[in-house]
This record gives sequence, C-alpha cells and structure tokens, in this order.
Amino acid sequence: MLITLGRLFFLFVLCALWELVSIQQWINPIFIGRPTQIVRFLFDGLFVNYELVIQAYWTMVSTAAAFILGSAFGILFGFLFVTYPLVEKFLEPIFDGLNALPRIALAPLFLLWFGLGLASKIALGFSLTFFIVLSSTVAGARSVNTDFLILAKTLGASPASVFRKITLPSAVPSIFSGLRLGLIYALLGVIGGEIIAAEKGLGQLLSFLAGSFKTNGVFAVLILLSFLGGLLTYLTSKIEARLLRWR
Amino acid sequence: MIEIRGLSHRFGGEVFAVQNIDISIAAGEFVSIVGPSGCGKTTVLNIVAGLLPTEQGEVAINGTPPRAGRHDVAYMLARDSLFPWCTALTNTEFGAEIRAEPAESRRRKALALLEAVGLKGFEDKLPKALSHGMRQRVALARTFCLDSQILLMDEPFGALDAQTKLQLEDVLLQLWASMRRTVIFITHDLAEAVVLSDRVLVMSARPGRVVADISIPLKRPRSVSDLQRDPHYHELYAEVWEKLEEGMTGMNTRSISLA
Repeated sequence: MLITLGRLFFLFVLCALWELVSIQQWINPIFIGRPTQIVRFLFDGLFVNYELVIQAYWTMVSTAAAFILGSAFGILFGFLFVTYPLVEKFLEPIFDGLNALPRIALAPLFLLWFGLGLASKIALGFSLTFFIVLSSTVAGARSVNTDFLILAKTLGASPASVFRKITLPSAVPSIFSGLRLGLIYALLGVIGGEIIAAEKGLGQLLSFLAGSFKTNGVFAVLILLSFLGGLLTYLTSKIEARLLRWR
Repeated sequence: MIEIRGLSHRFGGEVFAVQNIDISIAAGEFVSIVGPSGCGKTTVLNIVAGLLPTEQGEVAINGTPPRAGRHDVAYMLARDSLFPWCTALTNTEFGAEIRAEPAESRRRKALALLEAVGLKGFEDKLPKALSHGMRQRVALARTFCLDSQILLMDEPFGALDAQTKLQLEDVLLQLWASMRRTVIFITHDLAEAVVLSDRVLVMSARPGRVVADISIPLKRPRSVSDLQRDPHYHELYAEVWEKLEEGMTGMNTRSISLA
C-alpha cells in the first residue's frame, strides 16, 4: 500500500517536472511532448473520436490472427517433428535458416505479396510466433519423464494413447511458456509490419504521428501499446494458471 | 509360472551383467532377488519384463517368451511415476484404462484399492498434494488394479525413508495376501526381502549369479512389527546376510587379483 502510494507520488512528480520542462521550453516539446496533452490525446482517442480504439482494434485483430495461426502451426509441426524425426531432420536446416533471419526483413516481401492490408502484418507476426511455439513444443514433448514411457511400454499402450495420455500433457507447460512469448512476439511482428507500411493499426498511426511531429500522440500510442501488451500477458498467465493447476 | 534357464546378458556385448542364471518361480510365489548394487538384479527383471532382449539362455512366462505389454505381467518402478496432472484415482485407474478395462469396473476396483492402501478420502488429490509414501501407495494400487497374475517390482520402496518403508511393506503384504500374485521383487534391503518373500535369491557381484536360494518359511499372514520379535526371522536374516557377504567377498578377491 505504502509502496503504491510512493510509486504514484513518484509518477506525479515526474510528470509535473516533465510538464514544467515542456512549458518552459527547456527542451523543445516536439521531442518530449507534454503529459497533459498526452492524456488529452489518449482521452480523445479512446472516448471522443475513437481514433485509438479503431486502430487498436485492427492491431489486435491482426495480432490474434497471427498468434492463433502461428501457434496452431507451431504446435502441429512440433508434434510432427517429435513423432516423425525424419520430417524434422529433413526440414531442420530450412527452418533454422528461416529462424536465423531477422524476420522484420521479410516485411518488404510480404508487402509485395499481400499488399497493405491485414495479411502482410499477420504474416510477419506469424513468422515470429510460429518458430517460438514450434521449439517450445518440441522441447516439451522431448522432456517426457522416461519412467512414464517405460510404464506405458510395460502396459502395452498404443502410440496413440502414449501421445494422448503422456506426451501431450507432459508438453503442456513448455507449450504454454512458448505461447506466452509467442503472443508478445505476434504483437511485435504486427506493430513492426504496421510501422513499415499499412493502411490501419496502431503501428501505422504511430509512424504517421511521429512523421508529422505529433509527439503527444506518439506517447499516447506507446502508453496504449504497453497497456495492451501487459493485458495480453496477464490474460495468458491467468489461463495458464487455470489449465496447469496440477503443477 | 516363470522359468529362467542359463540366462546371460552382457552390456554392450562385452562385460557380463549376469551370467548363467537359473530361476524357477511357481504361480503365486513371492520371490525377492537381493544383491549388491550393480549385480544385475534389475537386468534380470527387465529381461523378464521384456524391456531388454533375451540374449543368451531361455526365459518363459506361462510358457511363452517375455514381451513388454503382455497383459499377464505388471511392472512397478522404483520411483512412483504418477502423472502429476492426474488425481490419485485416475492414476490408479491408468493401467487398467490403457488395457481397455471397462470404465465402471476399473473405477470400482481403483476405489477399493485406494481404500486398501489407506488412501480413502484422498481419491481426488493430485500427486503434488501427497507425500512420498502416499504416492507410492497410489503406485501400488495402480499395479494391483491390473489383472496381471505376475508382478515385477523394481525396488518399489527404495526411495522411501525407513519408517514409511515399513508401513508400505505391510500394505504390500496385505494386498498380496488378499490377491495372491506371483511376484519378483528386486531390493537391496535384506530385511525387506525376508519379511515379504517366500524365497530370497541372493546374487553375487558382477557378473551376477544366483549364489543362494533361501526359502523363508515364516508363517503368514505376517506383519512387519511382529516379525521383529520373531527369532526365526532374525536367523533367516542372518543367513541371507551371510550368503550376500560371501557373494560380495568373491568380488573383492577378484578385483584384487586383477590389480
């Protein structure tokens, strides 16, 4: 409680100082904006003209699509690799190469293929999420307690029931940490894609505001993004705590 | 009924783990195998379980060669190996479920067994909420929940503290008395072997050979604490101990002569 009050006080002092520096023009407000104006921009964007709400909507829709597709394929390929090591052996160098590539470098190509719509940034988010979830799935499925496998063998369990009853639940904790990271990276990919070129989204808005020196707007978008990122992480850890009660 | 004739096994095709083993176990018999660590007792068990191939010699279980997954054999590991995501009840049912026993009958059996091992009221607890001893009780229940006539147990109480171990030996004695299975029980604890078994086989240090076959004619039903006051029990214990020591001295003289 005391520490919360302390934090609020610190934040207040910081903003007051910031406001003062900005008003007195000790630093040009074009570089640092002004806290009251930032709050105003946030308020207007969220409750008056809905600009931020609309752009956030497109960003979140793209992030959700990139995350769902990326993790679905990541989990699928992860289990495929564990079940058929030959497939992994075959694809490994290709996947390693792709994974080593700074994904944002793919943006121009995706823009060429998919245009300025949602598909480009979804592809970018997907390319990040996919590999994260893939490697955490493989790691999880490989970490199965060997005692469980011996037990299954002596019971005469079929490969399908070993997978369903042992491999899958054993891999869940590791998959979840991959998903948590993958979600943040999906957002990163989408925002990156939007900043480079897009019709809609918070990244596009951010790049537009910075380009026209609307620094208050830039800070407002950054605050909103930080909040959205935090919200996503919070939600996944809630779901995780629920599904992994046995831990 | 388990017949082992002239069984030898090498590690990596070189060092003999066990050499020329002959063991014959009648249906319903409780046989312990004791020996110094590394003597190959677990190797013998794993060959019978079908987890290791029979390289040399013959093994027959109810007349057929060993194979992992056959329904007349159940295997119990040293560590409890319960699934952390399943409750005590679903863990108990697991083996029976894999062997496609109908849900209703396996549930009934699992509940009765959990009660028999002293875990009534803990059916819905997850393993993380249970102590080591309780978890191994669940593992016992899971093993007995299978209909298998033959139980292969690899030091099932080896990881428990002394007190808990004594309690679980009693639990096993009761289960065995009421359900009568053929048991091969691997242990390095001589007291445990004498308390539980009809016969104790003593193995020598590597290469493992059976150096003694001591029958334990203590009357049943037995209880661990009663046996402590039974002079006959102590005599048998001393006899097993002596044979074990002979087997171990064999190892020492050989390693000295090698040096």
